[in-house]
Amino acid sequence: MSISYVDVGADLRRIVIAGRLDMPGTESVASQLIELAGAPKKAVIVDLTALKFLASIGIRALISCAKEVHKRGGKMVLVVNKASTVTMSLEATGVDELIPVFASVSDAEQAALV
Amino acid sequence: MPSRLRSSDPRASAEGGSSSADELTVRADGEEVRRASTWLDAACRERGVPPALVDRLVLCLNEVLANVIVHGGAGALAQPIGLVLEVTADPHGGLAGVTVSDAGVAFDPRSVAPRALPKSLEEASSGGLGLVMIRRHADWLEYRNQGGRNHVTFGARWKSP
Repeated sequence: MSISYVDVGADLRRIVIAGRLDMPGTESVASQLIELAGAPKKAVIVDLTALKFLASIGIRALISCAKEVHKRGGKMVLVVNKASTVTMSLEATGVDELIPVFASVSDAEQAALV
Repeated sequence: MPSRLRSSDPRASAEGGSSSADELTVRADGEEVRRASTWLDAACRERGVPPALVDRLVLCLNEVLANVIVHGGAGALAQPIGLVLEVTADPHGGLAGVTVSDAGVAFDPRSVAPRALPKSLEEASSGGLGLVMIRRHADWLEYRNQGGRNHVTFGARWKSP
């Protein structure tokens, strides 16, 4: 399980989560995720392309994050591998309709900075 | 802890079908959820359950176990959780069912009314997503309370191509 980030210019932060957002995985990164998304950036991309599994506890962490970013007037988007179980989880819970989802980082960057 | 094979040799039926079961016992904590997932994934694949269905079953298992650990109370945390995988297959397709038994507070997941998906981020609540996930991914969901334990069974079926 790993979480890292890269700042792209002054306005955008890309957070990359790899591993499994199941119960132990989410518990190990949730506070760091909220902290990283809390930076005063206009836009936050959460890159889940290296994520192998997304349970509801992980989805709750993503929702909390997106709410925090929205509260400060920012925008959060996700990057996912479309043919993955991560997409399956996002679609099952309808979260893909609440947090914009993209297949590529470049598309996500463009959309996040609009 | 290695899993215990209840019926290691699938029984051949007159229709050319087979049926087998596998069991595992886990403690009620987060790390054990991962061990249970690994077990279910391997046991399903070994029995020829299609990969897409395996992913759905593993998701459901995670949600059922998380529910036991978070909401089951002291009884759930003090007693082992039992897992049973039963797979029945014939040339036309098959069924894979997973039963999770725990000693926590009695809870029938079918008693919770399905709710509409949230229409906005602000509307999205932090609770109930696990049940949404189970209902979406399981082809069936059953419940019984027997011997002071909850027995939740969920499963998926497939047709051979």
